[in-house]
Amino acid sequence: MPYDDLRSFLDTLDEQGQLLRITDEVLPEPDVAAAANAVARMGDKAPALYFNNVKGFIDARIAMNVHGSWANHALALGLPRETGTKEQIDEFIRRWAEFPVAPQWREDPPWAQNSMAGADVDIFKVLPLVRLNDGDGGLYIDKAAVVSKDPDDPENSGKQNVGIYRIEVKGKARLALQPVPMHDIAQHLHKAEERGEDLPVAITLGNDPVISIVAATPMRYDENEYELAGALRGAPAPIAEAPLTGLPVPWGSEVVIEGVIKGRKREIEGPFGEFTGHYSGGRRMTVIRVDRISYRTNPIFEHLYLGMPWTEIDYLMAANTCVPLYQQLRADFPEVRAVNAMYTHGLVVIVSTATRYGGFAKAVGLRVLTTPHGLGYAATVIVVDEDVDPFNLPQVMWALSTRMNPEHDLVVVPNMPVLELAPQADTPGIVHKLIIDATAPAKPDHRGNYGNQVHDLPEAAGWLTRLRELAARH
Amino acid sequence: MTGVCPRCGHETIEMLFTSPVPGVWDVLQCQQCLYCWRTSEPARRTDRDAYPASFRMTVAEIDSAPEVPSIPPLRARP
Repeated sequence: MPYDDLRSFLDTLDEQGQLLRITDEVLPEPDVAAAANAVARMGDKAPALYFNNVKGFIDARIAMNVHGSWANHALALGLPRETGTKEQIDEFIRRWAEFPVAPQWREDPPWAQNSMAGADVDIFKVLPLVRLNDGDGGLYIDKAAVVSKDPDDPENSGKQNVGIYRIEVKGKARLALQPVPMHDIAQHLHKAEERGEDLPVAITLGNDPVISIVAATPMRYDENEYELAGALRGAPAPIAEAPLTGLPVPWGSEVVIEGVIKGRKREIEGPFGEFTGHYSGGRRMTVIRVDRISYRTNPIFEHLYLGMPWTEIDYLMAANTCVPLYQQLRADFPEVRAVNAMYTHGLVVIVSTATRYGGFAKAVGLRVLTTPHGLGYAATVIVVDEDVDPFNLPQVMWALSTRMNPEHDLVVVPNMPVLELAPQADTPGIVHKLIIDATAPAKPDHRGNYGNQVHDLPEAAGWLTRLRELAARH
Repeated sequence: MTGVCPRCGHETIEMLFTSPVPGVWDVLQCQQCLYCWRTSEPARRTDRDAYPASFRMTVAEIDSAPEVPSIPPLRARP
């Protein structure tokens, strides 16, 4: 049964022992962020956190780490909480095959219960905002799904976008938003600014868990995130029309903030501790004017801590980064077996492939760089043979140890695009990219001195079953 | 109101919000570098003297901060 809102998912997390309620009084800072930082260190079964007693607030409700473990990610997809990482990604691939599933317009969204508009807008009265890391320039909203349309083609629902971007709160009705040039909302803003217009946006917070997953998925520009949500949920995603902008927003959101990104205006923003595990420096960024806030009675503020990986964001953009890259590579190279782009949103990508002939793996690696996501990420691509599971890092290290000859197997492509947050670039936004061919040479490439490979004994599989049964009896 | 921004040392500070429980904390904002903090945060985030050097910001850094994303030229009108 898919979740139509955040609250029903929190109930499931609670029932499954995946929600820790912090009922003792905590300070807004540093306690909420420090607890969410710490829970990430509990590993891949870490729970979500729920705070309802935050000092100085009368009635604050803050949910953290909702997607912050493989157990929670599995439950978000309606899978058993112990489902393994690879199994979750395989299931994601199977469900993506159902894309597109049209969304369903639904009446009476709960966020229509309350609203403030114009001069009455005060975001601080709706959200118990908290600061995350020491060097952050201010209070951020970093898990909202932001909806916008292509100003040149506003009726095209494929080109509309639902994405998660970092948003700094700079006043009661004033925000900043970071549109990385590789991301779809940057294309919308670019067109609006060329036209000399503002870009209307709807910022939706506290969504059902699949909305957050699709909003963090690097889909193609003309693919509709709600149609992917329907495929992942196994049922159409419920949406409703935002009252001021008319933008299609999730029916189940806790809060819907509407306004415009002001055209052709920039203002100092940040820094902010980013998903790269580094602060991005202060930059002059876009300014949003908030014109209306609609919100559910007693809204829950869903927030996300990010810092030194892994934290919640790494789980939120793991499977959904691997799968579109896998689909896009498979379209040209059906030999591709699996793609692991779970590390830092795919700044490193590991591809497993069969090789038809010598040099094939290098060609597959180069293709990664020209996928839509690869343009902004994929600083390093490691290509391994089909007998290596790219999710099994000891196996990947074995391939690097034995199937890569530094004399021949490193391809450096100079001056390629990368997102400006990538700290290794000398000029932000431009970096050399590296393909590491860690596949064994295929004919007519006869390099190396391989001889016969050692394989598991044919009887080992039977023994594995037998040993597991024996161990289970202890 | 006056005060000192922990990050850039500017002395014009604005109050953005005060705690719903009266007198517990305020959310303040520097009007030069737009740094925003809550008065109940640790000294390393709120006190100019304790604020880490690596996070400090100067007027020159604000003025020279890169524009992200860059603003495109207006389309030519027919």
